[in-house]
Amino acid sequence: MNNAIEVENLIKVYKNGVRAVDGVSFSVHEREIFGFLGPNGAGKSTTIKCVIGLLRPTSGTIRVLGADTGQDPGVVKRNIGYAAQETAVDDRLTGWENLYLQGRFYHLPRAEIRRRGEEVLKLFGLWERRNDVAGTYSGGMLKRLDIACALIHRPRILFLDEPTLGLDVQTRKTIWEYIEMLRGEHGMTIFLTTHYMEEADALSDRVAIIDRGKIVALDRPGALKAGIGWDLITVRFSTDGGELGGLLSALLALPEVREVRETEDGIYRIAVERNGDRLIPRIVRLAEARGIGIHSIRLKRPTLNDVYLHYTGREIREAEGSREELIRSRVMARRIRR
Amino acid sequence: MTFLSDVWYVAWRELVKFFRAKVRVVVTLIQPLLWLGLMGNVLEGFTKSPYVQQMLGTSSYLSFMTPGIILMTVLFGGVFSGLSIVWDRRIGYLEKLMAVPISRGAIPLGKMLAAAIQGGIQVLVIILIATAFGVRFAAGPLGVLLILLVAMFFSSILSGFSLALAVRVKTQETLMAVVNFLTMPLMFTSNALFPREAMPGWLAAIAKVNPVTHAVAPIRELTLRGWDWGAMYPGIAVTVGLALAIGIWAQWTFRRATAE
Ligand SMILES: Nc1ncnc2c1ncn2[C@@H]1O[C@H](COP(=O)(O)OP(=O)(O)O)[C@@H](O)[C@H]1O
Ligand SMILES: [Mg+2]
Repeated sequence: MNNAIEVENLIKVYKNGVRAVDGVSFSVHEREIFGFLGPNGAGKSTTIKCVIGLLRPTSGTIRVLGADTGQDPGVVKRNIGYAAQETAVDDRLTGWENLYLQGRFYHLPRAEIRRRGEEVLKLFGLWERRNDVAGTYSGGMLKRLDIACALIHRPRILFLDEPTLGLDVQTRKTIWEYIEMLRGEHGMTIFLTTHYMEEADALSDRVAIIDRGKIVALDRPGALKAGIGWDLITVRFSTDGGELGGLLSALLALPEVREVRETEDGIYRIAVERNGDRLIPRIVRLAEARGIGIHSIRLKRPTLNDVYLHYTGREIREAEGSREELIRSRVMARRIRR
Repeated sequence: MTFLSDVWYVAWRELVKFFRAKVRVVVTLIQPLLWLGLMGNVLEGFTKSPYVQQMLGTSSYLSFMTPGIILMTVLFGGVFSGLSIVWDRRIGYLEKLMAVPISRGAIPLGKMLAAAIQGGIQVLVIILIATAFGVRFAAGPLGVLLILLVAMFFSSILSGFSLALAVRVKTQETLMAVVNFLTMPLMFTSNALFPREAMPGWLAAIAKVNPVTHAVAPIRELTLRGWDWGAMYPGIAVTVGLALAIGIWAQWTFRRATAE
């Protein structure tokens, strides 16, 4: 399989001394959806901007479709599409004008822009509103228009920097569908960054977890979660504690079980080494054999959040709400100024 | 060829927005009406003196002042060109322009072209209004065309300067402050509105090197006297030369400042 993107030892130190990207290496296969997951300030946007040639790396090598970003910026630019974290739509132009201009900047002939433009605007559900000034669009429509603009020249690689930041759940799901369709039907390679772990989990073939400028883990989401090495089974017994002792020691005797802990009265958390689902029937049988009733039983698989916690010792969601509010209010302020 | 296309579409974006903002269009058209109507009439009386007539080279102050108003209008239009860069940077559009395969030099040139076209439209309106007020352009229709061209090159000097400045400046307030600091003195230390002969010696010396004075010379020649290449070419050469130099400088700052 060919690699669409190859990055080796990328380091970016900003002029103010911030070491935003600190020795990052990865490769993205063709037709892959590659997720870059990390909290704000981890260095995701900086990495993207280096890869597509908007920023000059401090050191490291970057190849996009075999071309060196530093030496052949033109080749890279013509073959990629980029939708920045901050939606860059001119809100005093109409949706169509935004798209037309973008097509012109890629030097597409007028007829081609008309054909492609109609196609992407219909695809993204913006065709009816194409002649309205973009300032009248909702946040989700603006984002969709921005992605549509990035697609006008049929790029081979699409870079999406936090494509669903600050959008509602419904719009987010729609954008996920578009992304999957672009890969499925058009065979596009997609590099996306996000700080939503569900997004990385749902979309990516492989995920790189980035923290403070370094990749701390990189694999398929399933493998990453399996790598954590435990599932949690939470059992609530309906009998009181007196007769449980025997059962608990029987459970602990099972080779897969690592730990049994009582969290609340009658609720036990059993940490097992993977495949917790297969253990559930045995737990039920062991309980029944001792005449102990089970009120409910729940299996919790590790999430990417647990993976992140595991590798960094911190929660990915820390201090995130405030920033989203900030971005929303900024979008609002922009509208009001019109 | 793609370079010219890039320049044109950068300009196209500005022009579409210009014509969409109807209030802006109306204001830019009314402004010269006020200048010509008010100042021209107020000061008309003082051209009754033959001494003043000799200084102005005409018996109509309005005819003397029209070239000055033309330059003042494109000057004030051009200097605001840089604001659009500051704005583009803020909304992320500048980054978008960096990510598409256009030449970075096309960005300032496109915006300069847009400013020149907007300025050209204003100049046409001024000429029409002035004609309605009785000004006769001695060099005829072709002369008017040349006036238009000189004014557009002059506009590019100011817009190019403002754009190059805007690459470094991060806020609109700073840019406005710098630009305002320069434009008024530039205007009033030139002979655009008052003849150099009427100035004190030190001011006349400044006026002599002021680019506004150089640009106004061929326009005034075409307005008051007609075709005299000998009298016009130094002014035209300085204006076009400065515009080209500033155009190159603006492109250079864009290529450099954006490759961080
Ligand atoms: N233009 C810049 N100049 C200086 N520091 C920057 C700049 N852009 C980002 N940074 C810093 O670099 C770090 C990484 O930022 P960024 O790449 O935007 O992270 P992310 O996209 O993961 O949120 C942060 O500490 C941020 O403050
Ligand atoms: Mg970011």
